[in-house]
Amino acid sequence: MEKMSRVTTALGSNSITGRTMFCHLDAPANAISVCRDATQVVVAGRNIFKIYALEEEQFVEKLNLRVGRKPSLNFSCADVMWHQMEENLLATAATNGAVVTWNLGKPSRNKQDQLFTEHKRTVNKVCFHPTEVYMLLSGSQDGFMKCFDLRKKESVSTFSGQSESVRDVQFSMKDYFTFAASFENGNVQLWDIRRPDRYERMFTAHTGPVFCCDWHPDDRGWLATGGRDKMVKVWDMTTNRAKEIYCVQTIASVARVKWRPERKFHLATCSMMVDHNIYVWDIRRPFIPFATFEEHKDVTTGIVWRHQHDPHYLLSGSKDSTLYQHMFKDATRPVDKANPEGLCFGLMGDLAFAVNESLISSDASRKPYPGGDRRYPFFSFKKANPTEQFAHVSSTLSVFETDLDSNCMDWFVKTAQLYLLSGKPFTELCDHNAKVAQELKRPQVSTTWTMLRIMFSEPAPGPNQNLSKLGSLPLMNSFSMKDLGSVMGPEGRLERHKGESRQDNIHLEPGNSHISNNNEENEETEGSDGPTEYMFGDAELDDDDLYPMEHENQAVPEEQVYTLPPEAFQLRHEIIDNPSAPEHLQQDKADSPHVSGNEAEVTCLTPIETVSLISISQPLYSPHLHGSFFCPIVREMLSHYAEQGDVQMAVSVLIVLGERIRKEIDDLTQEHWYMSYIDLLQRFELWNVSNEVIKLSTCSAITCLNQTSTTLHINCSNCKRPMSNKGWICDRCRQCASACAVCHHVVKGLFVWCQGCSHGGHLEHIMNWLKNNSHCPAGCGHMCEYT
Amino acid sequence: MNIQFEEATLSSSYSLLGSGFGSEELDQDLDPEDSSPSSSRPRILLMGLRRSGKSSIQKVVFHKMSPNETLFLESTNKIYKDDISSSSFVNFQIWDFPGQVDFFDPTFDSEMIFKGTGALIFVIDAQDDYMEALGRLHLTVSRAYKVNPHINFEVFIHKVDGLSDEHKIETQRDVHQRANDDLADAGLEKLHLSFYLTSIYDHSIFEAFSKVVQKLIPQLPVLENLLNIFISHSGIEKAFLFDVVSKIYIATDSSPVDMQSYELCCDMIDVVVDVSCIYGLMEDGGGCAYDSESLAIIKLNNTTVLYLKEVTRFLALVCILREESFERKGLIDYNFHCFRKAIHEVFEVGSLFEGSVWRPTSSSGIKQKELLNGF
Repeated sequence: MEKMSRVTTALGSNSITGRTMFCHLDAPANAISVCRDATQVVVAGRNIFKIYALEEEQFVEKLNLRVGRKPSLNFSCADVMWHQMEENLLATAATNGAVVTWNLGKPSRNKQDQLFTEHKRTVNKVCFHPTEVYMLLSGSQDGFMKCFDLRKKESVSTFSGQSESVRDVQFSMKDYFTFAASFENGNVQLWDIRRPDRYERMFTAHTGPVFCCDWHPDDRGWLATGGRDKMVKVWDMTTNRAKEIYCVQTIASVARVKWRPERKFHLATCSMMVDHNIYVWDIRRPFIPFATFEEHKDVTTGIVWRHQHDPHYLLSGSKDSTLYQHMFKDATRPVDKANPEGLCFGLMGDLAFAVNESLISSDASRKPYPGGDRRYPFFSFKKANPTEQFAHVSSTLSVFETDLDSNCMDWFVKTAQLYLLSGKPFTELCDHNAKVAQELKRPQVSTTWTMLRIMFSEPAPGPNQNLSKLGSLPLMNSFSMKDLGSVMGPEGRLERHKGESRQDNIHLEPGNSHISNNNEENEETEGSDGPTEYMFGDAELDDDDLYPMEHENQAVPEEQVYTLPPEAFQLRHEIIDNPSAPEHLQQDKADSPHVSGNEAEVTCLTPIETVSLISISQPLYSPHLHGSFFCPIVREMLSHYAEQGDVQMAVSVLIVLGERIRKEIDDLTQEHWYMSYIDLLQRFELWNVSNEVIKLSTCSAITCLNQTSTTLHINCSNCKRPMSNKGWICDRCRQCASACAVCHHVVKGLFVWCQGCSHGGHLEHIMNWLKNNSHCPAGCGHMCEYT
Repeated sequence: MNIQFEEATLSSSYSLLGSGFGSEELDQDLDPEDSSPSSSRPRILLMGLRRSGKSSIQKVVFHKMSPNETLFLESTNKIYKDDISSSSFVNFQIWDFPGQVDFFDPTFDSEMIFKGTGALIFVIDAQDDYMEALGRLHLTVSRAYKVNPHINFEVFIHKVDGLSDEHKIETQRDVHQRANDDLADAGLEKLHLSFYLTSIYDHSIFEAFSKVVQKLIPQLPVLENLLNIFISHSGIEKAFLFDVVSKIYIATDSSPVDMQSYELCCDMIDVVVDVSCIYGLMEDGGGCAYDSESLAIIKLNNTTVLYLKEVTRFLALVCILREESFERKGLIDYNFHCFRKAIHEVFEVGSLFEGSVWRPTSSSGIKQKELLNGF
């Protein structure tokens, strides 16, 4: 009766006061427990076992239970529990396997009461029965749980969890006979205290050890468990099969979990490693902690709510040797700092967008989502507890579907199909491509093509063209004077000078005008070109004046200079010739002064190199500033396009420019572009274009793509069955498979056959045959065609 | 690396290790079973359906094969007996059974096979349909139980690296449920199966093996207690007693094992042995990568210190501690000295009592008292 009355007074005096405070302990704490009336707390650790009184402003050390001459291993506590009925009774679990009870009512200094040394390995947990005074439960590393009657010298019953270490044992709050045990192998077992032979129920709760469990103080069936897999799970045990009803994902393995009193959905957790904070979670919102206590500097090892009916005080012990009392009002609320707006792109370009409701309602201009503006209010609690200091947040989720047309790749397909990459002179290719781009409303690309044409349509690509276009204008022949000076005999030098100087005079005017034209068009991509050119021009002019003498030596007829260039070079051939041309060595070898296109490249580009400055001036004024001058810019432009995602442009230009630019860009980059473009083309099923690109590419890695995995299956032309690899005779019909339809001999070289009727023969024979006949030579009646 | 250890067997190793204090006679005490016939040794049997990963497990754990290389392992077609006792503390034989072993084959001597077996590991491929495996498990286990009821039955739910977390639990639950139901139907409730989720691509296989092996070590409670005392008096956070070759921990203190710490310690052993292989051997290539002089300290930049020291020929103590605790290195060294002595005594006693039931409490009491005096 006396006990009952004390209980009621403890409940009645529900006016606990205090503030957030802490005190230093001498050693790291392993566990803490609070006495029923919430005035004292016991701290236990490997080297500490003390009782502190909780006063208004501070902790006051009341009692040190570690007494005696020599520290006994029995004082090295892994866990401690203060009896919730009997305020003088404590129990500790020792790391050496002893379970010790302490009676604070003892008059002597040593308060040790009973000592049970039945466990072989460390006892991880002790637990008093919530209502029964003399019943104590222990769980040990050796896999056994033992129930002690404190009136007896030894355990009453032993429960075998079957060889796995027990991490936690907890008596159920409501069921008198039930307790839960959690194990290192991830299992949770439910036992009836009266039935030690077999557990009532077992289920796998976590992957990896389950470190802790806690029964809900009010709800009969709820059990919270925390494990090394960083999760806190709440199980409904009332159903036949344990059902996971809530799951909270934390950032570190969960060491302790404690339900918050008077709050149905709240629980506090602390972690075992890495994370030093204590979190209070609302289990209905498992993504963000409801409150956080960040005071500890090291791992928190014990948490307990100070009073079992007061949700505002939390006590915690830590490895950093401090004991804290946390006030709930001082906790940080991560929710307040969390950004309530969220934005996410879907795979198909949809956009989901969650925002605070107050914000969205003010936005009147917002267009509702066509398929019904889907709004999901979340972060809102259905029954907001008025006592809760908790902002009622609700957000709306809007989903915007992308307009599929906006990001469709039609332009890509069209461009890929329409672009011409080869087969025509360079300028035409450029013009054509520019036109294609223009039609597809891509002016920048179009302009780029035009620019390229202007930059590179020099005598270099096609002298014949130059001739035809420029008519009587002589080719500008320019060359590096350096070479002349160093290698050529004086005569040759003279000859050249004459030629050049003359042209120089002639072309000064048109050259200038041409360049200025260029500049106007160039605005967009290469504004810097103009000025530099002019500057050079000026400089060269001066030079010219300095050496007027040279110009006068004009004796050799110019014809000699022009004779060679007019030869109609094939575009491709020219390209092949070119790369070596800029090398001065080659020029040295070429004795004849026919310089024409090739040399133009060298001179004007590198005025600095030249030894004799006289001749320099002339090519600079010509309209034919050599293409490679622009190479760095073009290279940059290509990289720019590639980085913009328009690898198509990069590759197309690369192919069209061919050798002009190829040397400028390193092979790996080129290969990368090619691969990307080919991949894209194949995704759009543009096989032909892809094949063309592969064929035209100059990278060996790309061109060999076509040579892999190309299999040719041969069918017999008689029986139309597949042929075996060997020989000329079909296995089935015993006939020569590849007989020429004209001469009836076996074809052992080039074999041409009609894809329609599969007849064919020697290339020559068929060609001849089809010149005169339109039908198949085999007489099958098929109208064969040879193109 | 295995070669190094194999060289260090028996006669050769005695001369090499003679310099260590008192290790000469201790080593003799430590391997009393080397002289006994091999059949009396406890065995670990690896069983399971074909292609469930048995050989891979064995190779990865005991032969340091990299997990990726196991892809190229041929499937085993005869019983493969692997004696690792010469190189490892774990004084066991691992028997790798081919998946298609037929128990009803008259040549299959279940009596001989199961008699001296300490643990039977049954491997189930979690990525496969495990119904057939469960049937085989039931058959194997009930058969083995009839012959020798003292076998520890361990079930590795293997290859879980391919499963999601939820799926893992669900699989474990399902396997557990079905296997135990089958046993209950057969009236074998007494037979206990332990389940582990394992994968060779992380350390879970090592942890599972550690637990299997720990169950077979009678001295475990004493070792654990010694570790507890050692770490609480030296300010150490976590200590493992490792078998160096296999990186199995045969004991740790009673605080929960964190995967990261364990992996860290495993890596440290690798580092030490590898470095020692390069620089620690004698001129002529003789010597051992791990001997009584082995000691390593690694300071991490997060104020954590790793400390490794030789305990016995096969065992190393690996500790994780804070930098500030490491300032008292002298104390740690002295405590370690006491700890090492105690461990040696534990195994000495173990060898004296060999054959009879070993009583840990009596001897550990003495040990602990001595230790306390030391501290």
